[in-house]
Amino acid sequence: MIFVKRIYEWIEVRLGVKELVEKNLTGYLLPRNINFWYSMGSIILFIFAVQVVTGMLLLVYYVPDADKAYSSVTAIMNRVPFGWLIRTCHAIGSSMMVLFLLLHMLSVMFMGSYKRPRELNWLSGFILFSLVQVICLTGYLLPWSQLSFWATTVATNSIGAIPLVGQFIVEFLRGGKLVGPPTLGRFFTLHVAVIPVLIASVVGVHLFLLERIGVSKPPFGLDNTKNRWQGDAFRYDEHTGGIPFFPNYILQDMTSIAIYFSLFAAVVFFCPGIFFPDDAFIQANPFQTPAHIKPEWYFLANYQTLKLFPNEFIGLSIQGAAMTFLALLPFIDWGNEKHPLKRPLFMVCAIGGILLYIGLSIWGHYS
Amino acid sequence: MKLERQAMNNLITCISLAFLVACIIKPVAAADVSVRDENVCIRCHGAQPGRLGEPVKLWRESIHAANNVACNGCHGGDPQDAVNAMSPARGFLGAPEETAIPAFCGRCHVGVAKDYLSSAHGRALGKGGPTCVTCHGNHLVVKATLDIINEKRCSACHDYGRARTIKDAMQQTEGLIVSIGGRIDSFKGEGVDTDRLDKGLFSVRNRFHTLFHNVDVGMVKQESARINTELNSIAGSLDKIDEQRKKRKLAGAAVVGGALLAALVFYLLRKSYD
Repeated sequence: MIFVKRIYEWIEVRLGVKELVEKNLTGYLLPRNINFWYSMGSIILFIFAVQVVTGMLLLVYYVPDADKAYSSVTAIMNRVPFGWLIRTCHAIGSSMMVLFLLLHMLSVMFMGSYKRPRELNWLSGFILFSLVQVICLTGYLLPWSQLSFWATTVATNSIGAIPLVGQFIVEFLRGGKLVGPPTLGRFFTLHVAVIPVLIASVVGVHLFLLERIGVSKPPFGLDNTKNRWQGDAFRYDEHTGGIPFFPNYILQDMTSIAIYFSLFAAVVFFCPGIFFPDDAFIQANPFQTPAHIKPEWYFLANYQTLKLFPNEFIGLSIQGAAMTFLALLPFIDWGNEKHPLKRPLFMVCAIGGILLYIGLSIWGHYS
Repeated sequence: MKLERQAMNNLITCISLAFLVACIIKPVAAADVSVRDENVCIRCHGAQPGRLGEPVKLWRESIHAANNVACNGCHGGDPQDAVNAMSPARGFLGAPEETAIPAFCGRCHVGVAKDYLSSAHGRALGKGGPTCVTCHGNHLVVKATLDIINEKRCSACHDYGRARTIKDAMQQTEGLIVSIGGRIDSFKGEGVDTDRLDKGLFSVRNRFHTLFHNVDVGMVKQESARINTELNSIAGSLDKIDEQRKKRKLAGAAVVGGALLAALVFYLLRKSYD
């Protein structure tokens, strides 16, 4: 015991651990009316961690070569000990990452947490969401199955609709006129080296902003639900008399993560097939186009939107406009009110937007 | 003033989303219409009534159509050139004489033609015996199953008794092949490497199908029994995969249960701190 105490004192005098713990854990106070939606960020961090670990394990056996990629994935699924579990966790984890990012964004929207001074938090979160979609898209090609090959062909084709530079971008991404071995090399590099670094950096910025500005107060259970920020000077959003992050809210985070993990494990062990259509287990064949190639569920709305317009450029422009609108939401919605029920126009538009997204996704699935 | 500004902001938000909705909801244009690249035989004959158009209607429902084997695949000719489509110079063969039918079909179905010609049916070719189209039809050719052997068809030429005995002997094997094929396909859809099992079944199925044209009851029974043994071995491998799946599900139930229990413990701990 004395030895441990001595080590602690040795570190304490050098790093001031006690003060660090007090400032960031026990003394870090959160609003008393905080709810479980605030643990979405922790769930997403947990999913990121699982993706990184499973991704690293997959790298041990995966071969990023068009001739060997499919057989290496088949070997992972069938011959590598627990390979099936690692690959299934990684593939399903990607969908979960998008799903929980969407839930996180929706909760931020409905609680008005994106409002000033947290515009940068929203913007960095939106960039993260976009990067996650890109990492999912690049990872989709790696198994080199019929599904991944043709879904990538369709996805990269649509970029060609951009005037002047479209074809150049398509060829740059593919490393040639068609999806082929050079595309696999490029997507692999983006998936395992470039985008993870970008995601880690933006996560860092997002957490820094959260720490610097302070946690927003939920608008529920309060008389005054207006934004308190005046815009005159920088002020840390303190919550005097609030609950400590450690142990109180960290236990809420742990509860949410455990519930998420049970849901995730239920999908992995009992119905992994919902994220794997039959074409996912047929080796890529550039000479045989499958009858129906559908993107992953989170791109179905985009896919259906493109199908609705005879001109792909119009479809892309509409999507670009919608994404820009969403990214700039805190700069467009300047109102002080945060409670969703006191923002009827916002509610109508937000619910309409969600229904539209779900409707287009279902339409895309069955079309 | 503040209320006014908020209302304006909300209005802008609403108009933008409404614009998005209005732009997206457009009539579905011809984007979904897929144009089949049909050849000139189909375009010309498909539009004709009666005897000349009938083969196209039947062919559309056939296994040949499903596998993209079009008119020229059997009858020859040039499917790209409407004027010379039926020119012998372009390889047009037309419809074969009755005795030439086995050779006509046998250009692709080599093994089956050999089996047929060595059978009692084949030996009776040209002497009132059946040809390929007698049992399989000509344009509406569907995947061959044991259902082809039936009282109506067989008793058109001879007594059904022997055919029934042969069919009964093969029925169990056929059922086993279909069931094993279904199980393999289902595992394949879950990412199981079924290559070895697939090849095994393919080989057994082909051997079994050579019996389809055999009318020697004793030989059919003996060979069916041998094939059944091999099929049971494949089924045994599939049972092992099933067993492994069950174990995984049990482990999964434990993981889900453990995670839920952990959630409950964390929740109760949080409540105690609160």
